[in-house]
Amino acid sequence: MRPFLEPFFITGLGTEILYSFIIIACSLLVYFSTKELYELSSYKGIKYFRLSFLFFAIAYFFRSFIKFVLVFFNVRAIHEFSPNIFMPMGSLTLVLFMYFSSMALFYLLYSVMWKKWNGNSKKIYLLHAIAIVISLLTAISGEPSFLLLINLFFFVLVSFIFYIAHKNFKDKKKGNTLYAIYMLLFVFWMLNLIDILVPSFLQGFQLFIYLASSGIFLAILYKVLKKTGN
Amino acid sequence: MVKRGKLEIMRDILGIIQENKNLIKSTPLMRKSNLSSARFKEYYNLLLERDLVKEITDKNNDKHIILTEKGFRFLEKYSSIVDFIDEFEL
Repeated sequence: MRPFLEPFFITGLGTEILYSFIIIACSLLVYFSTKELYELSSYKGIKYFRLSFLFFAIAYFFRSFIKFVLVFFNVRAIHEFSPNIFMPMGSLTLVLFMYFSSMALFYLLYSVMWKKWNGNSKKIYLLHAIAIVISLLTAISGEPSFLLLINLFFFVLVSFIFYIAHKNFKDKKKGNTLYAIYMLLFVFWMLNLIDILVPSFLQGFQLFIYLASSGIFLAILYKVLKKTGN
Repeated sequence: MVKRGKLEIMRDILGIIQENKNLIKSTPLMRKSNLSSARFKEYYNLLLERDLVKEITDKNNDKHIILTEKGFRFLEKYSSIVDFIDEFEL
C-alpha cells in the first residue's frame, strides 16, 4: 500500500482538477450559449446537441469524483476496492459516469442523425437502454480485458453510425472538418474511459490525453461561440 | 421550386407581420405567406404556442396579429440559428 497522498498523487490531483475544470466549463458554456437559439427555434437538433454537452459536463463531474475517491482511498481503480461500504459507492459513481458518458456521445450522434431517423424519439429510448447496459456491465465486471472489449464495441458502434451520418452531410468541406473533430472527440473520450476503467493500460500517456481532450473541447466551444455570437 | 423548411416558413410569416408595421389580419397574412389554409393554420398555431406572435382585438372588435418580443428576437437571430444548424449539421 502506498503512503497516503504521496507527491505523485498531489501533482496528479492538481492536474485532474484543472483538466476537469476545463472540460466542465467548456461543456457548460456550450450548453448555456446555445440556450437562446433553442428557446427561439425549438429545433430538435439543437436540443440534442445541447443535451450532449450537458451530459459531458455531468460525466466529467463523476469522473473527477472517481479520481478523487481513488486518491483519497489510495487505490488505482474502482475495482481494486475491497468489498466494504466504499465499494458500492464507487460502483454507483462508476455506473453514473458510464451512463452519462455513453449518453453524451449518443446525444451528439442523435443530433446529426435525428432527421435521417425521421425524428423517431423511440430510438433515443433504445440508446438510453444501451447506455444503461454498458454502464451496468462496466460496474459488474472488474476484468480489464472485458472492459476494454466493451469500450471497443461502444467505439465501433458510435464511429459506424457517425460515418453513415457523415456521408449525408450537406456541406462536404464543413462536414469533413466536423467529422474530424467529432471522431477525435470519440477517440479521446474512449481513452478517457479507459484511463478511468483500466488505469495501467494508458500509464504515462495521461497528460497527452488530457491536453488533446482539452484542445478538442476548446475547439468545439470556439466554433459554437463564433456561431452564436456570444 | 425548393421546398421551404419549417424555420424558414416561420421566419417568412414573422417577416410579413414585421413589414406590415407589426399589425396584420389573418387573411392577408395567409395570402402573403403562400401557404394553403391548412398549412397556414398549422404554422399560425405553432407561432402562437411558441409565443412568437399574439392576437390583439381593436375597438371595432377586429382581430389583429402582432409580433411578441420573442418574435422580434427570432427574426434578429434567424441567420445565427440557421448558421449554427448548418455548421454542426444538426
